[in-house]
Amino acid sequence: MRAKARGTDGSLLASLPWTLAALVISVAPHVPFLPVWITAAFLGCAAWRYVIEKRRRTLPSSWLRAALALGCFLGVFGTYSSISGVGPGSALLIIMAALKLLETRKRRDQFVLLFLSIFLVMSSLLREQYLWSLPYMGVSMLVIMTAWLRMSAGESQSARQSFATGGRLLLYAAPLAIVMWVFFPRIATPFWAVPIDTSQATSGLSDTMSPGDISSLSMSNEVAFRVSFDGAIPEPRDRYWRGLVLTRFNGRSWTGRDPGIDPNARDQIEVFGEPVNYEVTLEPTRQQWVFALDVPMQWSLSQTFMGPHQQLARSIPIEQRIAYTVTSYTDYRISPELSGMRRNWYSSLPENSNPRTAELARQMRAEAGSDRAFVEAVLQKLNREEFYYTLEPPPLGSNPVDRFLFETRRGFCEHYASAFSVMMRSVGIPTRIVLGYQGGEVNPLGGHLIVRQSDAHAWTEIWIDGLGWYRVDPTAAVAPERIDIGNSDAAFETFGEAWGLTAPSRLLHQVRLTWDALDAKWNEWILGYGPDAQKSFMERLGMEDPTWRKMMLTLVMLVVGLVMLISVLLMLRYRPPPRDEAAVLYGHFVKKTGLQPKTGETASVFALRARDASPLPARTVDTITDAYLDARYGQNDEAAFERLKNAIGAMP
Amino acid sequence: MSSIPSPFPDPRGLITSLREHAGKRVQTWARKRQGRDPVTIRLKPGRVYILPTGVGMVFGLMAFAMLLGSMNYNNNLSFVLTFILIGIGFVSMHQCQRNLVGLELSFAGADPVFAGQAIRFRVAVSNQSKSARYGIRLYGTNTSSDIHDLAPGESKIFILPVATVTRGRIALDRFGVRTLFPFELFRSWAWLHMDISGLVFPAPADDAPQPPPTMVAHGHRQHDARGEEDFAGLRKYNVGDSPRHVAWKAYARSGQLLSKQFAGADTSSQWFDFDAIASHDVEERLSILTRWIVDADRTLEDYGLRVPGAEFEPTHGEAHRRKCLETLALFKGGQT
Repeated sequence: MRAKARGTDGSLLASLPWTLAALVISVAPHVPFLPVWITAAFLGCAAWRYVIEKRRRTLPSSWLRAALALGCFLGVFGTYSSISGVGPGSALLIIMAALKLLETRKRRDQFVLLFLSIFLVMSSLLREQYLWSLPYMGVSMLVIMTAWLRMSAGESQSARQSFATGGRLLLYAAPLAIVMWVFFPRIATPFWAVPIDTSQATSGLSDTMSPGDISSLSMSNEVAFRVSFDGAIPEPRDRYWRGLVLTRFNGRSWTGRDPGIDPNARDQIEVFGEPVNYEVTLEPTRQQWVFALDVPMQWSLSQTFMGPHQQLARSIPIEQRIAYTVTSYTDYRISPELSGMRRNWYSSLPENSNPRTAELARQMRAEAGSDRAFVEAVLQKLNREEFYYTLEPPPLGSNPVDRFLFETRRGFCEHYASAFSVMMRSVGIPTRIVLGYQGGEVNPLGGHLIVRQSDAHAWTEIWIDGLGWYRVDPTAAVAPERIDIGNSDAAFETFGEAWGLTAPSRLLHQVRLTWDALDAKWNEWILGYGPDAQKSFMERLGMEDPTWRKMMLTLVMLVVGLVMLISVLLMLRYRPPPRDEAAVLYGHFVKKTGLQPKTGETASVFALRARDASPLPARTVDTITDAYLDARYGQNDEAAFERLKNAIGAMP
Repeated sequence: MSSIPSPFPDPRGLITSLREHAGKRVQTWARKRQGRDPVTIRLKPGRVYILPTGVGMVFGLMAFAMLLGSMNYNNNLSFVLTFILIGIGFVSMHQCQRNLVGLELSFAGADPVFAGQAIRFRVAVSNQSKSARYGIRLYGTNTSSDIHDLAPGESKIFILPVATVTRGRIALDRFGVRTLFPFELFRSWAWLHMDISGLVFPAPADDAPQPPPTMVAHGHRQHDARGEEDFAGLRKYNVGDSPRHVAWKAYARSGQLLSKQFAGADTSSQWFDFDAIASHDVEERLSILTRWIVDADRTLEDYGLRVPGAEFEPTHGEAHRRKCLETLALFKGGQT
């Protein structure tokens, strides 16, 4: 009895492959983020279920299914140690779909599977929103809707017809979706905060800096942010994107303070010259730092404050791509006055660390005679002597600065910034290290600046009496081209060489820039369509003072209008064909009888009346009625139509 | 199962009865609104009703949850997905209704049955449009037809079986046509009130007494009721049948006692008389008469029927049988 209840009869063979296809296409975008065993379990269950249906086997027993379910849920929990968030949530959905497959017996069981696949499409969109995500979603929906029709529509519909019907209905739904998407009011603040994906590594800047610990810097070409300027793009040497500021040094690592608000920080800035206005589209960092051109004076991002070192930070981590406008001044002066206590704070060093560096600094300071001359001397030393800029420096042990300055002499920005700062602090000059990005590549197609992770940079600010905090980039002394042309081209050259490309590499570069320009527009118009963008778009459409009420009203009116249009389209689709010739011929006969057919009177009933009450002979009436009925509703209508024509012609 | 009655109504029962009540009210309203339909009708948009199904409600809830999620994450791509789903909801609502609008339904008769059998009402459904229609089903109270698809211009006969209990004319006062196409998110249906009926003959009695003896046909020769000239068929053995007429070969094969029937050169005939049956119950008498007619028809015997108010001369054949059974089905007179 139980075995019978689990049996399959192959009745799902028409719909099951499509349901499986819908599941596979909606699981696919998750695969790179999933542990291998989940993908394997899903594919295994799908193949197993298909074989069961194909060979008319029985489904696994409920005991086996329960054991599998328990194992899988424990596995998910063991892998993620949590069940909230997009990562574990999607993993659970996939496991549920795999297990549901094993108990799917009836056509209607597949509803659950299709609902699950829609949720999987949704969660993949929460995870990634690339340019190709939209067409991929369209294809996924087409397959899901086809599978849905295979399951619920009539038996006689072929897979091709289901596909066409699904496509047609999606096509009807598309304008409705566009209208709703444009006019549905966007809100700024989320209802609840759920981490999008905690298992994914953060890309961006670390908030401590330990030169020497990491022995190579990742050359990720990932975009950190894009900038479009209102006016001209500043020169490369002015493109310092301020992020966070580190002030404490323990002999090995530089650390900063947690981002905090300092209401006086902005008042300490004096600006000169013309402002630079621009918009930054920042990729999610899951950190609080907000990047801006040195030095920002006004910014449009909510919940964003200036900290004590003129760095911008948001009170909530940046989980999604955001866009904000900033006004910066590249000519500025910060804190001409600094209290003695603060001077001590910014020039403190741990006792007995890096003694050779301290000794060298004191010696050079004595030779230089003034702070400014000393700074110049140190930079010249870095420039003249044999220091090399490399992204793969040897590791440094304890007293990393000593080892770097006197032994290895190879490093990247962090090494130089750290060594320079330690020398400054050794003679009591207040110093701080700024982490951020430097440079960026101009995309001539989009007219914007692309700043990549590989443009991450560290530089120093020293405080000089009368000048205030003054930017010094020791890396520029070693590798000036790093500052003047930026890192990206250098990175690209290595990339090209690594692939053995020389001439075609330019072309490849063009393709990359084109893609980037498209991607930037995609980010700006589609992904960045938030409350502000919506408001300005509404104003451009001519809506005065767009409120959510007005937008909702417009949305409802447009949707109603479109639905009416679709209704008309459907009506036309189902309109009856033009009255056929048989009906026209029959009309001659009806006229001849001199009688009026009653509503709903069938031809045969009319014939009964016509036989008695019309001038036509009963035989003629019968012949014509029979031929007419056969021609319209019968099997062999061609021959019947000929008979009808002859009979009508023979009417007296 | 306590015997103490609860002071509160059972909520489930209450909901069921409320639903039934509401359903009846709506049906009465629809009946009044639409009036009696002719036997052929083309469905107009105004009489095709539509409501979401359970699946449709789940779909709606899902879309709503996805809308909240999209708003929460301010994720414009999941907004796109959500709005596509909502759009599909709207579209499938109209598609579902249009799948019925314009269908032509006409009553195509129902063959008479004996009481207790299901009468099969035939309804021709024709799709006089340029597009195929999918998943069409007819239904009535406690019954429904198979699901059929209709290609453009195609007509199909749908069969709606209805259980019968008593003889007489059975009317199909109301039936519906419905569809769940395309996504089972909505159910659209139309109620039809055509003047449709079928005939139900009385059920043939299982333990009918012997039919009355055969009358002399044209008689120079007193002849046994079942002449022996030509073998005409077999019928159930009745006590008193001559052992010479028992079909022993058939008995050996099937274990059932059957008597051979012969069509005499001089045709035998018998009269089935309502008043001659020793029973007081009208229905029982009709039932017995039905049994006799059915048996006699099977063996090609001539028989006549005499009921109060009607008399049919002995003969045989389909038309005769039909006339006789129809008289029995619609029999009104008679005493108890």
